Amino acid sequence: MWLAAAPSSAAPPEAVAADAAALIAQLRLPAPADTDYAEIRFVHVLRKPLQLRGQLHYGGAGVLGKRVDAPYRETTSIANGEAEVQREGKQPRRFSLERAPELEALLGSFSALLGGDAAALDRQFAIRLDRRTNGWQLMLTPRAAALASHLRDLVVDGNGHEVRCVSLHESDGDASVMRLAELAAAPLAEPTLASAEALCRGDAHESR
Amino acid sequence: MTSRGYLILAAWLVALAALAFCVQRTLVVSSDLRSFMPPAQTPDQRLLLDQIGEGPASRLLLLEIGASADPARNVALSRGLARVLEGDPHFVRVLDGEGDLGALDPALLPYRFLLSPTLDAAQFDRAYLHDQLEQRIEDLASPAATLLKPLLARDPTGEVLILAQRWTPAHVPRLCGGVWCDPDGNALLLVETRAAAFDPTQQAVAIAALREAYAQLDGADVATLSVSGPGYFSVLAATHTKAEAEWLSGLGTAGFALLLLIAYRSVALLLLAALPIASGALAGIAVTALVFGPIHGITLAFGFTLLGVAQEYPIRLFSHRRAGASASASLLGVWPLLRLAIVSACIAYVAFFASAVAGLQQLATFTIAGLLVAGATTRWLLPAVLPVKFRDVANAAWLERFRVWLDRLPRLRWLPWTLLALALVLLAAAPTPLWQNDLSALTPVPPALLKREGELRSALGAPDVRYLLVLEAQSADGVLALSEKVSALAATWVAEGKVDDVELPSRYLPSLATQRARQARLPDRAALSSALAQAQADTEFAPDLFGPFLDDVETARTLPPLTPAAFSSSPLGARLSAMLSERDGHWLGLATLSGVHDADAIAKIARTTSGAARLLDLKAASESLVASYRARIGAALVVALLLLSLAVALAFRDAARAWHVIAPMSLATLLALALLRIGGVSLSLFHLVALTLAAGLGLHYALFFERRVDDPAESRRTLHATIVCVISAVLVFGLLATSSVPVLRAIGATVALGVGFHFCLSIIMARRSQQR
Repeated sequence: MWLAAAPSSAAPPEAVAADAAALIAQLRLPAPADTDYAEIRFVHVLRKPLQLRGQLHYGGAGVLGKRVDAPYRETTSIANGEAEVQREGKQPRRFSLERAPELEALLGSFSALLGGDAAALDRQFAIRLDRRTNGWQLMLTPRAAALASHLRDLVVDGNGHEVRCVSLHESDGDASVMRLAELAAAPLAEPTLASAEALCRGDAHESR
Repeated sequence: MTSRGYLILAAWLVALAALAFCVQRTLVVSSDLRSFMPPAQTPDQRLLLDQIGEGPASRLLLLEIGASADPARNVALSRGLARVLEGDPHFVRVLDGEGDLGALDPALLPYRFLLSPTLDAAQFDRAYLHDQLEQRIEDLASPAATLLKPLLARDPTGEVLILAQRWTPAHVPRLCGGVWCDPDGNALLLVETRAAAFDPTQQAVAIAALREAYAQLDGADVATLSVSGPGYFSVLAATHTKAEAEWLSGLGTAGFALLLLIAYRSVALLLLAALPIASGALAGIAVTALVFGPIHGITLAFGFTLLGVAQEYPIRLFSHRRAGASASASLLGVWPLLRLAIVSACIAYVAFFASAVAGLQQLATFTIAGLLVAGATTRWLLPAVLPVKFRDVANAAWLERFRVWLDRLPRLRWLPWTLLALALVLLAAAPTPLWQNDLSALTPVPPALLKREGELRSALGAPDVRYLLVLEAQSADGVLALSEKVSALAATWVAEGKVDDVELPSRYLPSLATQRARQARLPDRAALSSALAQAQADTEFAPDLFGPFLDDVETARTLPPLTPAAFSSSPLGARLSAMLSERDGHWLGLATLSGVHDADAIAKIARTTSGAARLLDLKAASESLVASYRARIGAALVVALLLLSLAVALAFRDAARAWHVIAPMSLATLLALALLRIGGVSLSLFHLVALTLAAGLGLHYALFFERRVDDPAESRRTLHATIVCVISAVLVFGLLATSSVPVLRAIGATVALGVGFHFCLSIIMARRSQQR
């Protein structure tokens, strides 16, 4: 099945770009849209990975929300270039994304992805598309050095018009894998990066 | 002219040229408004005088780079401009939004426990640390994790973030590509000039440097740079006023020259007429410079206006030349009157010395020296250089007809009293305030520019130029302690919408006592290690992760508290230093306010702190300063008028004759005043100076009309001279009255109106009929 993807990765870059652009355009979500997620986050200062569950919200260009339901409750909403973090029993905290350009670029790319805006994504990232028999994978590598110093790459796995996972690999080795929609409910055998990514690629289903 | 005459003329011209050369070489014109203000009497006025010179809020220029189709271009230009201006000596600082305003100098990181308010309420015990660690885990799972991770091991209690939030101004512009911008994508910058805002000369130099720097940038022509702010407005007003004054006085000079040509039919006379006044002006400058050093720009402007009286001297000489007598001998007939006019005017200006205002003393010195020299040269030099050929003006037929017509006018003895009553009624009925205290109203900024300035100021979160919160204490630390007390109140003002933001000194540095109190609450290493270990036990944090935190707390326990001086090496400390100043053994803290909505409510703070903290309204303080200044000028003018009357009475040794001169002069001044007032004009310094000039001219008319002459020809000559003088004054100042600049209009209209009244009233009240 990896062989099936080989011709496309060897194709000239414009063809890849056109193919990827067509795919990204198909991903466009009608706003507003909400989807469940399950995130597993590997942080080197913590002995065990963090596992979060909740709901993502897409309210159109630049309007994003992330709600954590477990293991604690927290709502982050992003609109008008400002982020607001509301934790249970605490004063909401607000900060301007302009003060955090890397974060702004990252959230901007999420927004572009959900909006099907390939051109906007292309400005920030080098895009590589791998098609497989049971889905596809977009590998986004930051173009700007400032973002690259924090983020190695951003990987989007999907099937057809659906995004299944969004994974982040940070430059310091930390990583996060976020499973979306029905995959969010899928059980994870063991909380390792490899098993989480396998689940995203659909390998776990294949092996069963 | 005789050969002796040519010699005198040559010597005179050489002397003038030499004097002009010396004056031009050594003249220092100061444009610092402070030297032209009365000594400050209240602490607020003293602060105001400092603020005019040094107030950072008023020295800010607000810049906007825009109108290009490409916002990225604006950003690049903004960055480029900021980089160039940072090395420019005209500017103290340049802010374009780059760099983190709220960042603590890394070398001062252990001080964060003393600077942050955390320890005021909390203890670094197990429960607090556990709560903090749980929050950090949530932070690590949040989208902002990448930002927070680098400092986690050193700062698990999040003090750096707390300080950053505390130090970031409440209202900052949005950022586009890392620099400040407005919603339309125009880049915004703030620059602080070294020059004072109300020093238009230096501001113009700084703004020229700014524009030059911008023009050198790549692609500068694609976008436009617009400048705003008090300093820019002062340049704009000065340039506009100067341009119009030059154009109108050029026109006036041409008209005056034409008038002299018609009156005397001689080009030579036209040129010679300029010599006494030129001599007077140069002598005035030289003497003033000798006595005072630098001359104020306003002294020169007002001085030249007041010296306009001297324009009359050569005209008197020209009109009184008669056949069969030398020019000098012809002048002798009127010289005692002219001398009286000159001397009494000089005596009157002595009153200005009593004002204790350096600028007014300069003005008096300039005017007295100028009048004396112009008079002396008219008397002793000018007659010797006049052409031998001349036309006796007494031969003009129209002049005799006019004189006869004047003689036949009924002597309306009741008219002056009626006019006096009318003037009083008009003065009482005037619709506007008597005084215009707002000097800026005389050189107004176009409303569109003012509106844009307000928008930019609020977009940039730049402080209000009108209000300052003044904190006074015995020491710098006392100011900080007071500032801490005020900060609680300030928070309620912000919450209640009375003001958008108050930038207090204690926002950046707590008082020593507060720092020591926080330091005392820091646990020792053993206690902190054990509390941290317990707090960490049920978390997934790696066991030895927080070593840097333990080290920092240990360091902080023995740090000497941070003083403003020690803090001043960092960017935030420099900002704090700018807010604190020592004066006469007292320390002042200046807190800037942004977006003041309810000044009255804030002003009440003076009561709750028994005056240690108070709201300074710079506009009110400057108006009170102008008012006290004007009161001094007003008093000086009244004294001047009394001195003048006394001089005339003493010279005449006849109260009735003196009355005939003083009465029309006083009534005409009153009438001019009444007419201005009923026309809705509020009076300013410029009106007072203009009234003084008109009175000086009026004195001449009254003196010469009152003159007892038995020769009808001589009487016609006097009439001729007076008519030429009146027409020239009305022409020159009437032109000025058409100006679009209120300050020029004020001077022009007042003098033209005054001269008209003086002339008419002198005819009615002072003139003696020809004895037949």
